[in-house]
Amino acid sequence: MGYPHQPHLKETVVLSQYFGDAEARTYDGWVKRGGYQALEKALAMEPAQVIEIVKQSGLRGRGGAGFPAGVKWSFMPKEKKKPHYLCCNADESEPGTFKDREIMRWTPHGLIEGCAIAQYAIQAEVTYIYVRGEFTEPLRIMEGALAEAYRHGVLGPNAMGTGKRLDMYLHRGAGAYICGEETALMSSIEGRRGNPRIRPPFPAAYGVFGMPTTINNVETLASVPHIINRGGAWYKSLSLSHPKSTGTKLFSVCGNVKRPGNYEVTMGFPLGELIDELCGGVPDGRTLKACIPGGSSVPILNREESESCKLDYEGCVEQGTMLGSGGLIVFDDSADMVYQIMRLARFYAHESCAQCTQCREGTAWTVRILQRILAGQGEAKDLDLLLDLSEQMTGKTICVLSDSCAAPVVSGIKKFRGEFEAYINGTRRPRPVLVHA
Amino acid sequence: MHLGCPPANFQPMPSATINGRTITAPDGATILDAARGAGVEIPTLCWYPKLPIAGNCRICVVSVDGQAKLLPACATKITEDMRVTTESPEAVAARRGVLKMLLERYPADHLINGGRARPNNQFEDYVVRYGVQPTPVGQRLPLLRRGDERPGDPMISHDMTRCILCTRCVRACEDIQVVGVLDVGYRGEQAQIIVGADGDPDKAACTWCGECVRVCPTGAIFEVLPQQRFGEIPVTAEPVVQSVCPYCGVGCRIELHVEDDEVLRVTSPSIELDTPNQGSTCVKGRFGYDYVQHRDRLTAPLIRRGWVKRGTRWVWTGPNGADRRAGPWRSIEAEGHELKHPAPPRATGKRLRDLPLLDRVTMDIRERAATPPDWYQPFRQATWDEALELVAQEMSRVHAEHGPEAMAVFQSAKCTNEENYLLQRLIRARFGTNNVDHCTRLCHSTSVSAMQAALNTAAASGSMREVEEACDVIFIAGANTTETHPVFGASLKRAHKRGAFLIVADPRRIELARLADIHLQMQPGTDVALFNAMLHHILAQGLENREFIAQRTKSFDAVKQAVAPYPPERAEAITGVPAALIRQAAERYAKGPNTTTLWAMGLTQHLTGHDMVTSLLNLILATGMIGRWGAAMMPVRGQNNVQGASDMGAIPFVYPDYQSVSDPAMREKFARVWGVEPERMSLTPGLKVTEMTQEGSPIRALYIMGENPIISDPDIAHAEAWFRSIEFLAVQDLFLTETARYADVVLPGASFAEKTGTFVNTERRIQLAHQAIHPPGTARADWEIIVDLSNRLGLPTTFPSPEAVMEEIRQVAPAWAGVSYQRLKNLAGLQYPVPSDDHPGTAFLFDDRFPTPDGKATFHPAQYTDPAELPDQEYPFVMNTGRQLYHWHTGTMSRRSNGLDAREPTAIVEIHPDDAAELGITDGDLVRLTSRRNAVVISARVSDRVARRQIFVPFHFREAAANLLTSPVLEPHAKMPALKVCAVRIEPVAVGATV
Repeated sequence: MGYPHQPHLKETVVLSQYFGDAEARTYDGWVKRGGYQALEKALAMEPAQVIEIVKQSGLRGRGGAGFPAGVKWSFMPKEKKKPHYLCCNADESEPGTFKDREIMRWTPHGLIEGCAIAQYAIQAEVTYIYVRGEFTEPLRIMEGALAEAYRHGVLGPNAMGTGKRLDMYLHRGAGAYICGEETALMSSIEGRRGNPRIRPPFPAAYGVFGMPTTINNVETLASVPHIINRGGAWYKSLSLSHPKSTGTKLFSVCGNVKRPGNYEVTMGFPLGELIDELCGGVPDGRTLKACIPGGSSVPILNREESESCKLDYEGCVEQGTMLGSGGLIVFDDSADMVYQIMRLARFYAHESCAQCTQCREGTAWTVRILQRILAGQGEAKDLDLLLDLSEQMTGKTICVLSDSCAAPVVSGIKKFRGEFEAYINGTRRPRPVLVHA
Repeated sequence: MHLGCPPANFQPMPSATINGRTITAPDGATILDAARGAGVEIPTLCWYPKLPIAGNCRICVVSVDGQAKLLPACATKITEDMRVTTESPEAVAARRGVLKMLLERYPADHLINGGRARPNNQFEDYVVRYGVQPTPVGQRLPLLRRGDERPGDPMISHDMTRCILCTRCVRACEDIQVVGVLDVGYRGEQAQIIVGADGDPDKAACTWCGECVRVCPTGAIFEVLPQQRFGEIPVTAEPVVQSVCPYCGVGCRIELHVEDDEVLRVTSPSIELDTPNQGSTCVKGRFGYDYVQHRDRLTAPLIRRGWVKRGTRWVWTGPNGADRRAGPWRSIEAEGHELKHPAPPRATGKRLRDLPLLDRVTMDIRERAATPPDWYQPFRQATWDEALELVAQEMSRVHAEHGPEAMAVFQSAKCTNEENYLLQRLIRARFGTNNVDHCTRLCHSTSVSAMQAALNTAAASGSMREVEEACDVIFIAGANTTETHPVFGASLKRAHKRGAFLIVADPRRIELARLADIHLQMQPGTDVALFNAMLHHILAQGLENREFIAQRTKSFDAVKQAVAPYPPERAEAITGVPAALIRQAAERYAKGPNTTTLWAMGLTQHLTGHDMVTSLLNLILATGMIGRWGAAMMPVRGQNNVQGASDMGAIPFVYPDYQSVSDPAMREKFARVWGVEPERMSLTPGLKVTEMTQEGSPIRALYIMGENPIISDPDIAHAEAWFRSIEFLAVQDLFLTETARYADVVLPGASFAEKTGTFVNTERRIQLAHQAIHPPGTARADWEIIVDLSNRLGLPTTFPSPEAVMEEIRQVAPAWAGVSYQRLKNLAGLQYPVPSDDHPGTAFLFDDRFPTPDGKATFHPAQYTDPAELPDQEYPFVMNTGRQLYHWHTGTMSRRSNGLDAREPTAIVEIHPDDAAELGITDGDLVRLTSRRNAVVISARVSDRVARRQIFVPFHFREAAANLLTSPVLEPHAKMPALKVCAVRIEPVAVGATV
């Protein structure tokens, strides 16, 4: 549901059914709405059975990478020799993305239930829910819900009266975007500087505190109770385009649209329809110029590509971009693409953990070149330098932060080269930007 | 992994190739390991041997067939069928990209248009090799990097514009030294190396070990000293000479870089080589070498004015009586009583620019401290002929007039084995006395007496390396290892970090005690009760090793009875350590499976030192924690050659290799080798150091080589008086020390850098140090002086070199029979026993038998008795003495090292905050310490390292000598003074009183 707007007929409301319904936040309200039935059901099964259902549903990671969740769970050691951990990645910091925030604000018990099922499925003792530091309200709500869950015996030494132990902790981030990267998140939980780690070893072998660990996004885990309740086949049937993309997806729409907000649609929903009908289109008198479908880290689409894009994992790749986290940023014809790209690059330069040379130096250098172009002091060879840097920044570092910085730059130069050249050859008035602090 | 030396789990992987060559690699090796093993070079910046893999510089990327992306060679395991290309066009392009980005923020104008890379700068070498052109500084967008720079630091400085953020320094600090001073602060392009939280290394507990200097690939972190002395560092690679650190018993391998016959800097051999220090050094080893070139060095022999040659004989024409050895100095006692400058505030240290120093013309580091100029006044410079003639004449005369028992030598744990061998040979063969001893008397003599009694051995059973590699529980009793043996201390911390259980028994809350899993903070001098109670509990729980006791030991029942009266509750009453903690420690100790036991001066320097070590040995033997890799018995040796000096017979009751002087067969053997009649040599054990300097001792002539007993002996005031009373005193030293100022003749010796010879470290490792520079002026290597003197005294001595001396040593010392300079040329040296030429040396001893006649160890019961001095109303505090990280023994060397002295410039007493508050003392205040013997005025340092009612005074400082206060009472077995316990009172010195 496009909270805070009324639900649109073309939405498929699963996760967002209770957005705006304050009563659903409480334990009693959640149980009244059918909550914790899925957990009860799951705890009665064998862990492997739970994993099988999730595999069957085709649920894929909603944090951006789109890795099948059930398959990820099955990577955990079958024979348990060490403690296992589940990490819920609630460090939602991708520019343009705000879906996890709403899940935590309105259906905290839904998330706890999803975590508990996953935790049981991978035989983890403990779940860490890593909440973005700036999310003060969602954190408060989650704290309340977690205390309630313990109080009502959902969690604790005798979870749901089954005699099984399930523990869950909230861990508050401290304002670093990179801690949303799974290995950096683990470092941060361990109390270290939030630096991504080299893979392999992968978390399922050597994760948080060196123990087997699974990390899932909030939306992924929140979907799990629905899958357990209604069955994997039901979830798999929710697919409008490619059969490998199933279920519903929350899209956080922002930018130049009349009704920005969170919209839940079935996988494969047309991007044009989402903008024009659900969000009411771009402001009157303007035309769509570009959009970024998956949060700031994916390549930019121009108007034509946007209008023919199907919103699922495969549909986005077809248009040369990615579904990412589902943060849809819309630009109309008033947008200055050079400036927008500089803003994106500046974000990544500011958030680089500074481990890898290409990321630490490349992101900052990119920003300085873009600022030079905006200031009217750019040269023709600057675009080549930018592309050259982006090439060095792609696929050569420990994590993908520098790739994320390069993606909008490369696609922006490719699709909006004229705007860059206008600054360079002086046909556009310079727009000096303060050198970023 | 060692280059060209695959480990034991070697598994060939014939189908992997690098650059088309089939390679083999051990299981789990990375592409980089395999490449290095095959001699293929892959550029690396952030990678460093044995450091955790960071994989952040991204310069080591290589192409692997079938992989879309380039892979980091340092972080990728090599697998079957992998086909690696190290210099593919893609990899080279990526490498150039990395170098280009780093270069954009690096001061590199000198590299434009084919400029040459700076020496030892790995990064610039790669820039030149890959032909990357720097952008001229004016045209760059990014700014030069910044970071904490340690302004005014006396030893380490930073030029962070040259930092490439490889983070080697951070990992070396964290993972090798286990200190964690350095870190990366901030993010993105602001990321930089930070020192602690606020840039102050002092507050971040920096130990100035210089590990960061060693690993830095660009010279962004560098040592201050060479630049200070030599201005711009020479561009050419200077000659490097292999040596051994002159400070503690760890025996670190160091490399001396020589420039213009001076030591330019000290580095350490590669971390991958098998050396005791594995590439590390501590602050003293890396930065404490400048005393070698201090202007106080004696450059010519000195003869006390008053000695005049009349005809062929030297006659004393000066005053007699009290003024015989007078000089324009104050006695140590008088200096101790004086008011002095209070210590500078802590946590800021002393900034270089605040020191009155840097006389660049004379290359003198400082004006301050060291030898006061007027100390030279009673002396005149002499020729070697004059000086040695006088020594020979007077020693012969005293010998003739007073007999052999009037003659004595103090040997030196700072001199080489060869020198110690020659000197004891001289006194034994020429003068027929065994009055020969050295500072081991004040060090591990009680350990030796206890170990001789129980095991018939006098050295550590294991190696330092096994502690890090193989032990499960580490038990440290009375050893402040991180300060006194810092490199070994770091390996203990690494062992603890990898999971070894650490138990520390120490009255002070030292660094290791803070890290420890169990800290047994007992009252000083109560160790016997503690160890007996531990054994009591082990027996009560049935945790003793019955098989070991039955097969390898005897007389266990006596000890069983002896520990019966020590239930942990009684020990709690005596030691103050909770009984539950004693039980817990005992159980962990006994359960091991491999427990290593370390001890040092905290056990030995007591009136009951012998009993303390004995009770600890009982613990070791009852649990069988000896004779396995990982279960070592380690008395940690103090001086760099205290083990070797003892091995060479510089103790009054044995010849070299612990062969008894009382055994006529031994006397026969040595007399034959030394070319004298056996009857001329004595069968009576000689006097020990502490007996020689007592009032009423028979000694009339004393020859001291490289020792400074006036500072190190207990109750200095009496010792000083004794030294003034004897007939003839000759001192051979680097400086005019507090002892040498009373000498008749002072002979200038050579420092470790100026001679060739061997040293033995605490794990019995014999190592060869080579001469790097020449001694100053006419100073001579100590072995040359002794050879010359021996000939003048009529003992024919014809060794042309130290190597020739070693050839004789191996003839007479069975454990050294396989030792030769040829074999010692490899860096690892040899751990004795080396009974034959083909014997590889011995890493650990006693795996099947002890060196006793029946092969069994003997238990000796030990009973607790009160320490020598107990506090009372008049003297309510217990004073403990010992060393500091930055100083060495009597300060002769370390106080003449600029960096070390800047860190600890003044004498201090550590006092507990609550006691300080009660007495109205704050940090830096002057206080007067008074014991039953004497008093000193000293600065207070308020610290909770000491317990309440206990104080700690380092003994390095002449101006407030701790040993003025200590008690001369001697331990009955080994004649060790009870230096660790003495009762004192503390009074604040009136505010406003200044010098």
